[in-house]
Amino acid sequence: MAGLNANEQSSWFDPETGLLDRRVFSDADIYQRELSHIFARAWNFVAHESQVAEAGQYFMSYIGEDEVIVVRDRAGKIQVLLNSCTHRGNTVCRAELGKTRSFLCSYHGWNYDLDGSLIGMPGEDEFYRRNLDKSEWGLNHAAQVESYRGFVFATMDPAAPPLEEYLGWVGRLGLDMLASKGELEVLDGIHKNRIQCNWKLAVDNLYDWYHVKVSHGSAFRLNLMDDVSMSQLQQKVILGAYGHGIGGPHLTAEEFARLTDRVQAQQGDPEWFDYQAGWRVDANVQEKLGPVGKLSMGHPNIFPNLWVALTNQVCLRIPRGPLETELWWITLLPKGMDEASRRSAIYGANHFFGPAGFLEQDDGENWSHSTRGAKGEVTKRHPVNLSMGLGQDQMTHHVSGQASIDSVVSEHGQRWTYENWQAWLQSGSWDELKILKPAIPQDAV
Amino acid sequence: MSVDQKMADTFSAQEFLYREADLLDARQYREWLDLLTDDIHYWMPIRRTMTAGEIDDEFTKPGGMAFFDDDKKTLRLRVERMYVGRAWAEDPPSRTRRLITNIRVIESSETEMATRCNFKLYRTRLNSEEDSWMGRREDVLRRVDGDLRLARRYIYLEQTVVLSQNLSSLF
Repeated sequence: MAGLNANEQSSWFDPETGLLDRRVFSDADIYQRELSHIFARAWNFVAHESQVAEAGQYFMSYIGEDEVIVVRDRAGKIQVLLNSCTHRGNTVCRAELGKTRSFLCSYHGWNYDLDGSLIGMPGEDEFYRRNLDKSEWGLNHAAQVESYRGFVFATMDPAAPPLEEYLGWVGRLGLDMLASKGELEVLDGIHKNRIQCNWKLAVDNLYDWYHVKVSHGSAFRLNLMDDVSMSQLQQKVILGAYGHGIGGPHLTAEEFARLTDRVQAQQGDPEWFDYQAGWRVDANVQEKLGPVGKLSMGHPNIFPNLWVALTNQVCLRIPRGPLETELWWITLLPKGMDEASRRSAIYGANHFFGPAGFLEQDDGENWSHSTRGAKGEVTKRHPVNLSMGLGQDQMTHHVSGQASIDSVVSEHGQRWTYENWQAWLQSGSWDELKILKPAIPQDAV
Repeated sequence: MSVDQKMADTFSAQEFLYREADLLDARQYREWLDLLTDDIHYWMPIRRTMTAGEIDDEFTKPGGMAFFDDDKKTLRLRVERMYVGRAWAEDPPSRTRRLITNIRVIESSETEMATRCNFKLYRTRLNSEEDSWMGRREDVLRRVDGDLRLARRYIYLEQTVVLSQNLSSLF
């Protein structure tokens, strides 16, 4: 395989059978390879522009395990800087967020401007005797920083293609499913917690509409979820280059027409479902999402680890070693939202997900024990099974160019994730990845 | 406030706070719910690591994002969750122990008492899972028919990133 030492195993997932080697959830070498071959290479979501609206506003974020400062500089540009002093490596910023004039290293006092350039240090004349070229010792920058509709992404790899090309229509659609609600603003307060699970279990679960009735059985029994909006019989899976995808329930054209009628006739507070989907009725939104996208009520994942959720939130699944993941729930609401809708949206964001959320309390239990199941010496020799729906469905192409797999609950999304994940690990560079990336199925899947 | 009054208030507040902590440790959630007023506000803000200069903003504000922002109806759902089955975070049930300390009555009127306390909530699950949460609480206790009821609970956790896979316990 390209880019790999011949002695190393390079195949962990078999797309022909849907079987996945479970060492991918526990092995330290595979994890290191994910950091170098995926996170250090991909476009990673690091912040929303509204979090760094003013010069000096900063937000601490992560690219894999590398800590980065996302900050608006004096010229109004968003910088993504490695949080590590170029002198001795100490962090230059220790808060999660805030506003500052510069980043002062607490070790020896090297001081960096908002754009990362080194302003000065104690003893510049007396100790360094003007022998250090400050212009060469600014904070290290991400190789590229770009925004898509307010969502700021950064890549550490100068060879990465432009963000829009990386996202492709599927990644863009995933973000459009939130960005089309209006001019978004991040709410103060991000739910952050740690789960003793491999990050990929938290990622692939977002395509998993098989688990909802069992994992979240208590929520069904409390009538917090229902079979209609969580339909396992009416599902749409959309596959995008480099591993992006959208999977989950969808509306039929008839249901969309009925939704349109209800929204247009609406008086007073809409029912939860209409509240969640009603904004799509707007003609401009329909055009933006396209004929397939507007019907999808599924979960987008921007590869590798950004889930765009229906609760006006995005969730990062940040790796913290092979056996630990940090979840960050960032809530974004359109500016100018009326007070009642805003309250309702905040209630939903606070109560469905996050560590105390009615749904997410139980997820961690499954993911941590699935991770544990990848540790046993004999247990881990047995693959896990992602074969649901394999070879039994068709890709449906719309004249618009959009395409989807319309079927019942399946594991197409999970298989697509691991097939792409494997191509990332097998590729030694962006050039190789462009060749090795799986082709999007055109007919049978 | 006279010393006698303060001692009487502190004693009754202590008795109440110990009793409800015992109910939660004993997993008598429905009985615990009966100790809350119908207009209770139960709130745990999100805390952030901030610089000393911006430390006044370390907690999120009421009405915004929070780990808990519950009315009685929502708390009833949390309680009923424990009884409907398939609430996997609590099945097998967690074993918890609550230590409530440093109880003080800050304000007292004929109708209510504003109290402060510190807590440690230790949880262990299955064979080896352990979580430990410490923090302080600001509780408002209302005098109802010669007894006390919890009318408001603000919970300030010491952690910023919650170092556990869920917050399925009540504080």
